[in-house]
Amino acid sequence: MKTGARCGARGKRARMALRRVLACGCFMLTSSGCFSPPRVANIAYTGDPVIDGNAQLAAARPEDRVLWNYRIAASAMRVGNFEEAKRQLDDAILTMGGIITNSAEAERARSLFSAERSKVFIGEPYERVMAYYYRGILYWRDGEPDNARACFRTGQFIDSDAANQSYRSDYVLLDYLDGLASAKLGADGRDAYRRAVENGKGRPLPPFDREANVLVFAEFGAGPRKYSGGEYGEQLRFAVSDSRAHSAELTIAGRTVTLPAYDDLNYQATTRGGRLMDHILGNKAVFKSTTNTVGDVAAVGSIVAASRMNRWDGTRSEGSQNTALALGAVALISKIASAATSPEADTRTWHNLPQRLSFAALKLEPGDYAARLEFFDAAGARLPALAQDLRVVVGGPERDTVVFLSELKR
Amino acid sequence: MKPRNSLRILFPNTVAAALLVLTGCATRGVKNPDGVPVTQMGADERGFVAGTGIESQDLVAVTDRMARSILSIPEIGRAEVPPRIVLDPVVNETRFPINKDIFNDRIRIELNRNAMGRVRFLARDRMSTLERERELKQTGQVTASADPNVTEFRGADYFLTGKLAGMSTRTSAGTSDYVLYSFQLIDARTSEIVWEDSAEIKKQGLEDAAYR
Repeated sequence: MKTGARCGARGKRARMALRRVLACGCFMLTSSGCFSPPRVANIAYTGDPVIDGNAQLAAARPEDRVLWNYRIAASAMRVGNFEEAKRQLDDAILTMGGIITNSAEAERARSLFSAERSKVFIGEPYERVMAYYYRGILYWRDGEPDNARACFRTGQFIDSDAANQSYRSDYVLLDYLDGLASAKLGADGRDAYRRAVENGKGRPLPPFDREANVLVFAEFGAGPRKYSGGEYGEQLRFAVSDSRAHSAELTIAGRTVTLPAYDDLNYQATTRGGRLMDHILGNKAVFKSTTNTVGDVAAVGSIVAASRMNRWDGTRSEGSQNTALALGAVALISKIASAATSPEADTRTWHNLPQRLSFAALKLEPGDYAARLEFFDAAGARLPALAQDLRVVVGGPERDTVVFLSELKR
Repeated sequence: MKPRNSLRILFPNTVAAALLVLTGCATRGVKNPDGVPVTQMGADERGFVAGTGIESQDLVAVTDRMARSILSIPEIGRAEVPPRIVLDPVVNETRFPINKDIFNDRIRIELNRNAMGRVRFLARDRMSTLERERELKQTGQVTASADPNVTEFRGADYFLTGKLAGMSTRTSAGTSDYVLYSFQLIDARTSEIVWEDSAEIKKQGLEDAAYR
């Protein structure tokens, strides 16, 4: 009778313990971020990249807003909708132009159980630089070369964060345009020109022409794409390919203006070096791996302990039972924690960036000109499929005429 | 003697240990993972401030100071006839794109508010509109209260100009931006600088580790 009462009490305790384990497991499941499938926006695509982009922006998560600002701005530039591009870039710069601190989303991105993409997207340095580069072009188009210069300077400043000193602030065009704007404003642009020449690494750069009133900004090729690498996707990597178009020429008013590639975004993306966030993601990956291993070991131990619960004489070993339950709890918690850990790198990409950037300045009388833009491969062979015919309207002396040309259509 | 129930000791300790382990491991070894909050500093101090660009409080502080400073010079304060001033657009040499007109607009407003008529500003940015109006009067398309053929547009006695210059630094410890706001009052006849003043603001901050 006494023995039977003891066995009943022990069984009750074991059942209570098991309930606690299950409760803990449920708690872990709920607290580690209940998975809800991403919203699928019901968008009626029109084929217009700006309209479609704005529809996607309206349906996007708040954390992705700046990403869509960027994409729409680039598309808008290419279809000549510069007011829309300005609006999108100004919206983006409001978010990414400051210093983000005390952000709940950023804190979540750093935590174990949320992915990096929980944070508000502002882009890698090359993406932020391009936002300022485009905005600078638009300021210059509006007759504000000093604000344009400010944008180019901020772009170069953003690039000063590269891990390797050699790759810091190494955009050629940002310094060159900084200097050109200074020269046109009556200031001294020689330091900026010198830096541009150094960054150019032997590529010839034309001297500043203060009298030039037509500024041609060209871009060609397809820019980098992000993907994740490593055992758990914790490493941010860039997929780059060498685009066919290596240079361009603009024929206008009987003249041929060469447009060599001065900057390469594939190069910029892949030479930035490691991020502090890579260290955090690495820690998450280690934790994920460790808890997974602990879970495996504890599960095996639990099984072994459970196999020894029943003695040869038919009695139950309370010690083995308790050990099995405890190890089972550890295994469950560890496995849940491992499964819930999110070390994946953020691969959200400004996917419609070009690979190569070019620029030229020339002087033309006010008027309406027919022009032809042609692209060339690395060997200098013409790429006829990419050629474009266009019209350039040169305005009066009150401001420079800015011409934006792109191989990309959207 | 009842055997110790190891589960009663082991289970809560296991859970507690697990929770301890689960909290914040990923940012181990990361300095200032939350970033650094915003404070304001003097130009000669070293500290940490977020939002290092040109912001509205800078505009207010700078333009207030410039307006008070201009009114204290004898060319303005003791002028027998209110001097006419033309505002030249501020030149931006910083890395921050700004609304340049807002600086001159605020200085003009503060001066007009505080000068009690001791200065007058010339609306040179409206000249095309004013010339059009004069032309309408001269051709009789609209009425005129005075002879429209008499040139009454005032010439400038002084030009008020400004420049924003900056210095920026970026290291692993954060971003620092210094902006020098300088303004001058230039005699339109002699080119003498009759007044000059400046304000300087320096800010520093460090973004969240998620963005580094």
